[in-house]
Amino acid sequence: MFFHIQLERNMQLHPRHFGPHLRDKLVAKLMKDVEGTCSGRHGFVVAITGVDDIGKGLIREGTGFVTFPVKYQCVVFRPFKGEILEAVVTMVNKMGFFAEAGPVQIFVSNHLIPDDMEFQSGDVPNYTTSDGSVKIQKECEVRLKIIGTRVDATEIFCIGTIKDDFLGVTSDPGAAA
Amino acid sequence: MSLEEEENAAELKIGDEFLKAKCLMNGEVARILDKRLDQLQQFSDDPSNQISQVFEKSHQYVKRFSRFKNNDAVTQVREVLSRYQLTEFELVVIGNLCPETVEEAIAMVPSMKSKGRGLDDDAIEKMLHDLSLIKKFE
Repeated sequence: MFFHIQLERNMQLHPRHFGPHLRDKLVAKLMKDVEGTCSGRHGFVVAITGVDDIGKGLIREGTGFVTFPVKYQCVVFRPFKGEILEAVVTMVNKMGFFAEAGPVQIFVSNHLIPDDMEFQSGDVPNYTTSDGSVKIQKECEVRLKIIGTRVDATEIFCIGTIKDDFLGVTSDPGAAA
Repeated sequence: MSLEEEENAAELKIGDEFLKAKCLMNGEVARILDKRLDQLQQFSDDPSNQISQVFEKSHQYVKRFSRFKNNDAVTQVREVLSRYQLTEFELVVIGNLCPETVEEAIAMVPSMKSKGRGLDDDAIEKMLHDLSLIKKFE
């Protein structure tokens, strides 16, 4: 889910930027450093929406750099275990399928796809029910539940399931075509 | 890592920090990101190199999955849903997924039914009805 939260960061600035535009420089650097990053605790930082407070700078001995504590508002995307959300299928194979919800990748293993759906290989690999009424293929929209998250330094990766009530395909562009 | 283990959105265990934070519906995120994109294009000749992949993907996602395209409707959804005793997180899940039946709503947000929340099926039914009206008249 997307959240609007306040975060804090200590920004180091080179003395050459000191002057009337110090604040602008600091904000520009903050955006460049932070937007698009990901941490396990706060998730993906999508966009900074405002800077609340820039604290007093502290000169770092030996380097001349100054550290400013900056409080800023931002939009983050943070997936949670147990959360239900919609995602777009990006790849289907016999192990299961991958889907994307904004910046996050979600894998749904074939054990977590309803048992009546069978894998069909071919040009457009897909999972189809025996009566052919429901089909999961690339570009499908699915509603899924996140059952696990794995966090590494720069990415969050999720495991999802569609084997529950009210989960599964919500729209299939392939069927309309 | 203990925090990670206990996390469960179905029981609203998402950590204090996020429980207190403002949650955003897809439509609201789309509004913020649209505005941001406009700003970037105004102030920079080459906005493409400033837009992160995370921004790009999120923008595409919220545009695709926002049930309510117009801004007034998005504002209205939040207004209507906030009349019911929902937490921020629950409000946004319902606003994003727009369940059609009471049963579906409870499956999407199991925490609604826990610990005597005073939200009975009739109240949920009415909430979903209000939501469908906004959708209809958008």
